[in-house]
Amino acid sequence: MAGASAADVRSILSLPNPSAAGPSQPRKPAAPTERARKPEGISRELYSLIGPSVPTLAAQLAKPRLKQKPNLGGGGRVKWEWREFKNGARGDGLELSHWVKAGSDPDAEYPFAKYNVQAPSYVYSQDEYTRLLEDSEWTKEETDYLFNLIREYDSRFYVVYDRYEFPNGTPRTLEDIKDRYFSVCRKLVRSRPWAGDEASKNQLLSSLTFDKERETTRKKYVASLENRTPEQIAEEDALFIELQRLEQTERRFKRDRDELLRTLLGIESGLPDVQVDEEGLAGMSHEPKKRKKGGNAVAEVETPVSASPSVISLGPAIPKKAQSAKSAAYDAQHCIVRTEVPATTSSSTKIAHQPVYLRSYKLPAPKMTAAPKIAQVLGELGISHTRLVMPTRDNCAQLESLLEAASALVETKKLVDKVDQDIRTLTARLSNRQSEDADGEGTGDAAPTPMDVDEANDPDADADAEGEVDGRAQSVVSTRSARSTRGRRSV
Amino acid sequence: MVNYGGDEVSALVVDIGSSSIRAGYAGDDTPKAIVPTSYGYVKETPSTTEDVTMSDTTEGEESKLASRPRVKLYIGQNGPSLWRENMEVNNPMQNGLIANFDPVNALVSHALKDVMRCDPSEHPILVTEPAWNTQENRERMAEIMFEEFQVPAFYIANTGVLNAFAAGKGSALVIDIGQSTASVTPVVDGFVLRKGLQYSSLPQFVMAHARHLLATPAARRQGISLVPQQLIASKEPVEAGQPPKFTLRQDRVDKTTVSWRKWAEEREVEEWMQSVAGVIDQGYNEQFAHQRGPKHYEFPTGYNYYFNGIERHVVGEQFFHHSRQLVETNPNIPKNLPALITQSLAACDPDLRQVLMGNVVLSGGGSQFPGLADRLNVELTRTFPHVKIHAPGNPIERRYGGWLGGSILASLGTFHQLWISKEEWQEHGRPIVNQRCK
Repeated sequence: MAGASAADVRSILSLPNPSAAGPSQPRKPAAPTERARKPEGISRELYSLIGPSVPTLAAQLAKPRLKQKPNLGGGGRVKWEWREFKNGARGDGLELSHWVKAGSDPDAEYPFAKYNVQAPSYVYSQDEYTRLLEDSEWTKEETDYLFNLIREYDSRFYVVYDRYEFPNGTPRTLEDIKDRYFSVCRKLVRSRPWAGDEASKNQLLSSLTFDKERETTRKKYVASLENRTPEQIAEEDALFIELQRLEQTERRFKRDRDELLRTLLGIESGLPDVQVDEEGLAGMSHEPKKRKKGGNAVAEVETPVSASPSVISLGPAIPKKAQSAKSAAYDAQHCIVRTEVPATTSSSTKIAHQPVYLRSYKLPAPKMTAAPKIAQVLGELGISHTRLVMPTRDNCAQLESLLEAASALVETKKLVDKVDQDIRTLTARLSNRQSEDADGEGTGDAAPTPMDVDEANDPDADADAEGEVDGRAQSVVSTRSARSTRGRRSV
Repeated sequence: MVNYGGDEVSALVVDIGSSSIRAGYAGDDTPKAIVPTSYGYVKETPSTTEDVTMSDTTEGEESKLASRPRVKLYIGQNGPSLWRENMEVNNPMQNGLIANFDPVNALVSHALKDVMRCDPSEHPILVTEPAWNTQENRERMAEIMFEEFQVPAFYIANTGVLNAFAAGKGSALVIDIGQSTASVTPVVDGFVLRKGLQYSSLPQFVMAHARHLLATPAARRQGISLVPQQLIASKEPVEAGQPPKFTLRQDRVDKTTVSWRKWAEEREVEEWMQSVAGVIDQGYNEQFAHQRGPKHYEFPTGYNYYFNGIERHVVGEQFFHHSRQLVETNPNIPKNLPALITQSLAACDPDLRQVLMGNVVLSGGGSQFPGLADRLNVELTRTFPHVKIHAPGNPIERRYGGWLGGSILASLGTFHQLWISKEEWQEHGRPIVNQRCK
């Protein structure tokens, strides 16, 4: 209808249908038969792109089953009409108009009228005023004026204070106004009969309390806070951060200590959390001065901490004092060994502090350099020093002395070897010189270098000192004899 | 409907400012009609026949005022900006207040009837007022609305409060920089704290300063003549900084009034300021200013010049700081912005200061000086630790914040109980305005 297509033109002109369409002519996507075979779920555009050649895709491309669209009732047209309404919150009969749904009730109350709520206000009679509310500072007229303003501005005291202009009255502060209002209300509530229970009355009274003095000082303080110089503010901030840091360290330390005491000794440290904080706070109040004076904050910081190691020592230390023959027997029976806790040193920072440990954790270890040799020695004896099966106190002490002896032996052996070596070198040199002297001036200027010595030594070392080579290789036989003598002496 | 609190009763909102009158429907986000407040008038000779005035009233922009000397008013887009023989230009506003009520009727009528094409007697109308408006003024406005426009209901709201509402805040420190007045208004719970209100004619001073700067010859340029294009017959292009070559329309020059010339030249200065001037956001420093680089500007005379950074930024600096020399020579120099803010806060309760500084709302066309908001932020954070400035990025929202707040307020369902109805006006008369609009 819109215009003859190329096919129509061709049929009119009886031209054959060209197999390849021209570039300008849009190709028909698919023949009607093909379109009929278009599998379900493939969009028409995609199908015309990929054609019928990829039928396996169809399964994957099947339409996802979505939730049914919710019926929002948008089917039918909604009729709206411009209708006048009366606002119940208004005193007069003003009728404004707005759009409402045509079917809605024309006499329904205006939905926003319910938000027109008045705050309850207190009204007093002349009699009540003369009996209860007389005040030398306030006249009845001014009190009336104040109550009217408060009613007008719904107890927004900042606004009331702003608009407060009683003719010929004394200038009032915000606190004066609040004080007068709340005191009058309190008196009224107290004197009038109360319908509800006592608790609700007290609650109401407490909501009407106002401490003028406190408010005034608070406000002065707020004002003074604003008058700080930037330097003061910066210093305060820095101090505050410092304080927080200290408190944090303190708290972490205390937690660790508590945990240790609980798990190892089964007792509570008995220090309440608050104490730490209090210490920190108390520290803050005088800290600025001290910092300025002394300049070493570290010393100040440590004061609360230094008390703590003594707490740790409390566990073992207290029974020791009361040690009697009976307890000694008990200890012996149960293999309890009481050790002297090393006296608390002055520097008891967290790093220096030694927590409670298991004995087996602290088995003595040989020196790093000599370790393999000592291990070899012990291996020859058939002792494994790395894992003590029963690390009792005695065993530990024995092991320690054994290791000590072994390391002493190794050291001595090393020394002996060195001395032997020196002796051999020197004797070799001596014999060399003697032979040179005997030969005359053969190779006189050639001073014997250590290399020469070694080369010269090699043959005779092989020849006459078989045992020395064994010694250098740390022979088992040679060490054993030395160990036995030394070891016995030291133990 | 109740959920978001809106209930539109097709109220109209009219915001009368020094530069323009904004009018539109409540609930819209932009005013439908923006009409310049300045108007032109020609004193008519008594010989004018009735026929002429009759035909004039049918024209859109012109209306007639029946005051003692018969004058013809030219209002709207083609009002003062078209040159007319012996046309004077006047503005009814002074320091943000309506000083002359005679043309207000015609101006509002033009905005409502000619531009918006609506009948004011069918719509409740909300009018704005600055916080320092007098009781007499607001009563007069109510009278005009009820008696002249026959509106069914009327309300007058404070621009400071409305600016806070437009920013979505009940309590805010509203800094409004208009064409003639800059004001700082503390708003708490939707009420203006009158004791903390501060305003000054700072924008006028900035404008005068800019004009002085342009008119006086500088080191490398001559004093610039601000002849408006309406008085120029022809001009030739000249190199930057070269004296302009133009011919005046002598026929017009003779019949141009002083007030029109003044108005036109002020517009030139304003345009120059808007396209070239700015504020250094990190505090003024000649070196900084110089680094900002020059900007090219061509005046109607054909004179063009690359204004360097110092010239461009010394103008905006007048909002924040007056040089000592300037203060000494002008005893009545208006208070600058930091002074206004400090004094306003000092008059507020210490408990409120923190709240107000956390809700600073910047509004008004004068606040759109490039860099002004940033600079204000820098100045305020220097003295107050927690400052948050709300400055809408959308220029319409910034310029017409007062109107926007009115549009929000008048489309609230809970607001409709506050309208002063015609019935109430007739029953109580003028005092109802002050009772209702606190």
